[in-house]
Amino acid sequence: MSAPLRIEGLRVAGGTGPAIDFELPSHTGVSIVGEETSGIDALARIALGRRPPADGRIVIFDTDIRALPRSDALAFRRRVGYLPAGDGLLQNLTLRDNIALPLRFGSDFTDREIDGRLNVLLATVRLTDAARYRPAQVSDEQRRRATLARALAFDPKLVLLDQPFVGLTQRAARDIVDLARGGETADGSRRTVLALGHSLPHAIHSRFERRFRLTSDGLIPLG
Amino acid sequence: MALLQTGTRRLSTLGALARFLFQTVSSWRWLPRAGRRVVNRVYLTQVWFTALQAVPLIIVIAGIISFTVISQAVTQFGSLIGATEVIGQLMIIVIVRELGPLLTALVVVSRSGTAVAAELATNKVMGEVEALESMGIDPLHYLVLPRFAAGVVSTTSLIVVFDIVAIVAGLVAAVASDMSSERYFDLVLQNLGFQDVWVTIVKGMVFGTVLGIVPSFYGLRSRGIATDVPVASSRAVVTSIVTIFTLSALFVVVLGG
Repeated sequence: MSAPLRIEGLRVAGGTGPAIDFELPSHTGVSIVGEETSGIDALARIALGRRPPADGRIVIFDTDIRALPRSDALAFRRRVGYLPAGDGLLQNLTLRDNIALPLRFGSDFTDREIDGRLNVLLATVRLTDAARYRPAQVSDEQRRRATLARALAFDPKLVLLDQPFVGLTQRAARDIVDLARGGETADGSRRTVLALGHSLPHAIHSRFERRFRLTSDGLIPLG
Repeated sequence: MALLQTGTRRLSTLGALARFLFQTVSSWRWLPRAGRRVVNRVYLTQVWFTALQAVPLIIVIAGIISFTVISQAVTQFGSLIGATEVIGQLMIIVIVRELGPLLTALVVVSRSGTAVAAELATNKVMGEVEALESMGIDPLHYLVLPRFAAGVVSTTSLIVVFDIVAIVAGLVAAVASDMSSERYFDLVLQNLGFQDVWVTIVKGMVFGTVLGIVPSFYGLRSRGIATDVPVASSRAVVTSIVTIFTLSALFVVVLGG
C-alpha cells in the first residue's frame, strides 16, 4: 500500500537547506517538530494545497492537491482530517453545529444520520454536555476537542495535527493524540497521524512511532 | 504623480471588486448539493437581519420624510402660489424614485454593511476562513454567496417598503393639510408611470448588488490582524456610499431617474 502522505523534494518558502524527501507509513503516528524559522508552520498548509512550496511537493493519497481544480481540491480536502493551529471554530455556531458543518455541507447524509454521527463524535471527544455552548463559552481544551471532532467528522484515514498541543496540559495532549489515532489495530493505529509543531510534550513521545526534527539540514530522526 | 498613483490604486480595487463579484456569482455552479441547504439557512438569517429587522427604521425614515415634505409642499405651494399639482411630481420623482432607493441603501449599509464587513474580517482574524477552506468548504459559498443574495433581495424589498410607507405618509400629510385624499391620489397616480416602478426595482437590485458584495470584499480582504476589523468596516461603508451616490447620478443621466 502506498504511503498516505509523501514529501517529495520539498523546500519550504525561504528554506535554504536540502530538499526533504519523506514517506509517512500507513497506520503510524509521526511527529515533526521544528523552530519557527524551519518552515514547520507552513507544512500542513502546503500539504493541503493552501500555500505553494518554494520547491517540490507534498502528495496525499497519490494526489497533489495543488494540481486539482479548485472545486475538486475542496472536495479532496474532506478526505483529510485537519486540526488547524488555533481552532478555527466559527464563533457564531455552537460546538455541535461547528462539528456538523462539514457533514451538512459536504455529505449526502440525512439529518438523522448526521445527528447520529454527531452524537457518536461528541461522546468520543467527551463533549456531549458542552455541545450546546459556543466556542467562547468553553475552555481551550474543549475547543481543541471540538476541532478534533470536526476534523474526524468524515472518519478520515489520515489526520494532520498542526501545532495541536499549544496551551494544553500533558494529559489533554495525550488525549488528543489518542483520539486522532482512533484506537489500535493489528497494523498499528487505526488512522495515520502526522503531528507538526514547535515542540512535543514529553508525556506523548511514546504515542508516536517515529519522531523527527526539521532543521536547516533537513529531517533529523529523534529518539 | 501622487494623483496618478491614487487613481491607479482605485482602478485596481475596482477591478478586484468586479472579479470578486464574478467569482461569487459563478461559484454557485460548484456549490455541493448538500451545501445548498446550509447556504439557504445562512441566507434566511441574513434576510432576517438585513431586511426584516430594518423595517421599523425604514418606516420611521420614510414616514417622517414624506410627511414633512408633503405637508410643507401643500402649505407652501398651495397657499403661496396655488400650485398643489406639484405634489404628485414631488412624491414620485423626489421621494419614490430618488430618495427612497438612496436612503434605503444608506440604512442597509449603516446597519448591515458595517456588520458584514466586521464579521468577515473577524472570521479572517480568528482563522475561521482558513479552517473552512481546510475542511473543504469554499468561503465564497458559506460566507459570501448568502450575504450577497440577501443584500440584493433585502435592499430591493426595503425600497418597495419605503415607497409604500412614503405614499401613505404623504396621504396623511395631505389630509392633515386640508387636501382631500381623492385629490392626493389623483396627483400621485397621474405622475406614477410604469417606468418609475421598474427603474425603482432595477435601482434596488443594482444597489443591493453593491451592498451585498462590497462589505464581503473588504471583510475577506483584511490581512487577518485585529486592527484590520474597523478598517474593513470603514472602507466598506465609504466605498458603498460613494458607489451608491455615483450610480444614482448615472441612473439620472442614463434613464432619466
